[in-house]
Amino acid sequence: MDIAAAGPTSPLEPWPDTVDWQPVSRDLIWVELIRWGAMAAMLLVPLGVLWGIFGVWPLGLAFVVVLVLMLWRVWTIFRAVRAWGYAERDHDLLVRHGLVVRRLSIVPYARMQFVDVSAGPLERAFDLATVQLHTAAAASDARVPGLRPAEASRLRDRLTALGEDRAEGL
Amino acid sequence: MVIDEPRRRLHPLSPLLRSAKALVVIVVALSWQTLRQVGLGWFALMVLVLLLGAIVMSVVSWYNTGYHVVGHELRVYEGLLWRRTRAIPLERLQSVEVVRPLLAQLTGLAELRLEVVGGGKTEAPLAYLSVADAAALRDRLLAIAGRPVAPVDSAAEVAGVAPVRVPGDGPLLLAVPNRDLVISQLLTPQALVLPIGVAFVVLQFGFDPSWSFIGVASTLTAIAGVLLQPVRRILSDWNFRLSRDDTALRLRFGLVETRSQTVPVDRVQGVTATWPLLWRAQGWLRLTLDVAGVAGQDAANGTETDRLLPVGTADVAERVAGSVLPGVLLSALAFQPPPERTRWFHPLARPKLGVALTDKIVATREGLLTRTVMMVPFARIQSVRVVQGPLQRLLGVATVYADTARGRSAALRDRDLAEAWWLAAELAERGRVARLAAPDRGRVVVPAPVLEPESAPLRPQPSA
Repeated sequence: MDIAAAGPTSPLEPWPDTVDWQPVSRDLIWVELIRWGAMAAMLLVPLGVLWGIFGVWPLGLAFVVVLVLMLWRVWTIFRAVRAWGYAERDHDLLVRHGLVVRRLSIVPYARMQFVDVSAGPLERAFDLATVQLHTAAAASDARVPGLRPAEASRLRDRLTALGEDRAEGL
Repeated sequence: MVIDEPRRRLHPLSPLLRSAKALVVIVVALSWQTLRQVGLGWFALMVLVLLLGAIVMSVVSWYNTGYHVVGHELRVYEGLLWRRTRAIPLERLQSVEVVRPLLAQLTGLAELRLEVVGGGKTEAPLAYLSVADAAALRDRLLAIAGRPVAPVDSAAEVAGVAPVRVPGDGPLLLAVPNRDLVISQLLTPQALVLPIGVAFVVLQFGFDPSWSFIGVASTLTAIAGVLLQPVRRILSDWNFRLSRDDTALRLRFGLVETRSQTVPVDRVQGVTATWPLLWRAQGWLRLTLDVAGVAGQDAANGTETDRLLPVGTADVAERVAGSVLPGVLLSALAFQPPPERTRWFHPLARPKLGVALTDKIVATREGLLTRTVMMVPFARIQSVRVVQGPLQRLLGVATVYADTARGRSAALRDRDLAEAWWLAAELAERGRVARLAAPDRGRVVVPAPVLEPESAPLRPQPSA
């Protein structure tokens, strides 16, 4: 068995010749930034207030460390959103995401149990939606955020149509 | 349409059996504390009143519980105030178990448990039926589950009494000697700790006779707790018998509580082989079966209900594994270890890790001391994932997961990146081919890529 067959080696671009990766909307960056900003504020404001009241240096250090981490995270959000991608192949859906831990999911349409389309208030404000594909395996991880509603419903309809065609249960 | 068969009740003795269970709960709930406070007479009276209440409740619930088979569904009706009707689609049936606790054995009753996909717990435990009824119902449900959807006009035949082919006990494949079972459980870490514990108690008592009774008692309780798991294993795996006919595996085991589990072979999600360190001298191993729906049901109790072979030699295991996953030879799996550079992740275990592909299954091997081999048929792969953490990126490796409906994934750890992509593509492709070749549930909804849109019926008719 030739297990070490030659193949693509880029960690984010498997099979570049055959797979047509679709990016997610750049507006997702704003959604993520606002989410992250809210969390950062919840952590930084109490720290800052405490530091202001007591004025001891460990609190200040913690404040600065948290601030630096937050700013670094803001930078990675830009790249992480660009790293999200999905591709519809003939028989399966590919979803890739993640920068630090890079993940690629291959979910055959035939294995689909149901499709979720969701949009939180923040996502709606930016006219975005999330499509999630569920299989019988809890570990399957096929979530595509940051889709335009039209694209989300197109994807949902296509997935359910393909799933019906190829449904085989388990 | 489907002719409704009459609703049937559970066995009339079931309320009594349930109340007997309740008795234990009542006594425990009232506890010694109460007994000391109120005296024996009052205590007995309290137990009696509560027991009567329990009996009345069970009788009422028995009166309102019913089940019947409608077409391809088992319907179970429950409840007086909160009515509940559960319809269990039999196409989704993963395994059926006939369980007979001690009391049920004495009274000739049995409980029927169904496992379906997506059920976090056992669906519809029908407690209790007479043994003959339970066996008949089980065979009937399995026969329906394994049959293609009948056209509407022959639905009456579905509801009829005589199933076409009953998956009964096939030829006996294996009987585990109880001696081996006991020895294997004595060779567990828990059992080996026992002499140390006993020696500790004796020494303490010898050197310090003033050591209180409480101290001895609590130590003994702790030892009993440690021993609980091996003892439970012995009791539950006693008289283990495995037989197989052409479609289903039938497992029987248990001493106090006998169980008879039927698993259609095409519902097996995977097989895991484990070689515990202490069993090496005997050359023994253990096989467990992955069935969707049984997921972690008894995980909290430390007992697995889906065992395939509690203990056996390599030859026996080979035969059993080969009968569940046809054409698979455990000893012939050629495992490829991950690349040399991953020794930083697994300084000792690296040569023991490995991945093997055959034409039917993907197998992964793990573990330095307790070696495990997990085998997943391509046709059971739900999705494939490739995950690369930051450290793995430094070494240019990635882990490929083959997810199954059992909730456990076969992890192909730390493969070279090019190989990981190749493996992922290969698993996805072979999974697709295997699904098409053996459309396990394709009989229910036929894959219909060739139907013309205008002539496509709502539900594809079974080809005549």
